[in-house]
Amino acid sequence: MNLGHGGNGQSIVLTGEMYKEISEILSELASKTRARTIIFSDMNGHAITQRGVTGEIDISAMSALAAGGFSATAEIAKIIGEKKQFKYIFHEGENSNVYFSNVGDNFLLVLIFSSETALGMIRIYTKRAIDALTELLSSANEEEKKASQFVNFDFNKYLNEELDKAFNF
Amino acid sequence: MFINWAQQEITLKIVYYGPGLSGKTTNLRYIYSHIDASKRGELITLNTKEDRTLFFDFLQLEVGKILGKKPRFNLYTVPGQVYYAHSRRIILSGVDGIVFVADSQRERMEDNLNTLLDLEQNLITMGRTLQDMPLVLQFNKSDLPNSANFELLQQRLNFYRVPHFNSVATTGIGVFETLKMIINQVVNHIQSHA
Repeated sequence: MNLGHGGNGQSIVLTGEMYKEISEILSELASKTRARTIIFSDMNGHAITQRGVTGEIDISAMSALAAGGFSATAEIAKIIGEKKQFKYIFHEGENSNVYFSNVGDNFLLVLIFSSETALGMIRIYTKRAIDALTELLSSANEEEKKASQFVNFDFNKYLNEELDKAFNF
Repeated sequence: MFINWAQQEITLKIVYYGPGLSGKTTNLRYIYSHIDASKRGELITLNTKEDRTLFFDFLQLEVGKILGKKPRFNLYTVPGQVYYAHSRRIILSGVDGIVFVADSQRERMEDNLNTLLDLEQNLITMGRTLQDMPLVLQFNKSDLPNSANFELLQQRLNFYRVPHFNSVATTGIGVFETLKMIINQVVNHIQSHA
């Protein structure tokens, strides 16, 4: 797995095994916290996977906004002289709350939960999940598979056919 | 770029960059309203009260499966106004390809040039270069009477001789041609570099 170069935002390639283990950690977090929705994405705004109720939520838009929001608050941290970015961001709504935390420099975890759920519990279990994810992601071997293997030359040809269809060319 | 082998998904990030009021958001609006709803997400816009882009616009496109693989394209715009430099840098993080939307009007030439230099500077701080970045130039508002001629725009702005299009984003001229070209540039780049 190629974790890229953090905020510089190189490519991230996730292998099957890694994806499975991430999914297991998120399932555990979902069952412990009873969060309504959990989203795991990268800091470039790409959604990776999600748990819980997701039908009504535009996951890709949510990931893009979460990454943008997190990066904006990282700039705020810099302005006030913090050496690292903020560990988490919490939004409190009337019915729902949202808890954003970074997982290392490259990833982001978003929990959406009922305003009746205790924040302390969310924080404890999220911290455990972040530790597990950080350990998992840091143990990964660099570049097991390359992006160029994913998009071979046939891919190009068929992609253009699909684009022409979508764009009404 | 994000690749998930387990799900056979690839997500690419394309950023529309350019000076204020050059038509970046108009490109995305046109794409949003002229592509089948099953192939796109909602258009997210973070605007000021005056309807200028404050942070970014976002639109995800999805075409059918290709050889079992699912490609997705995340399109972003940056805020063009000079004082949103920080926001532009944030949006560029992890970019796979850039569409530079220039304003063809003669009096905007300096703004185009300054924004192009701003882009190059931002890429350098991220350890990347404009020369090695999939890039397409779009000369927008080419229908206006005060637009500079094509040769002049080419000479002043296209120093890396990248693909380019004249466009009128409000009516869609050149919009999908630009998008198809940048997607091709990105995919070719992955095949030859990654």
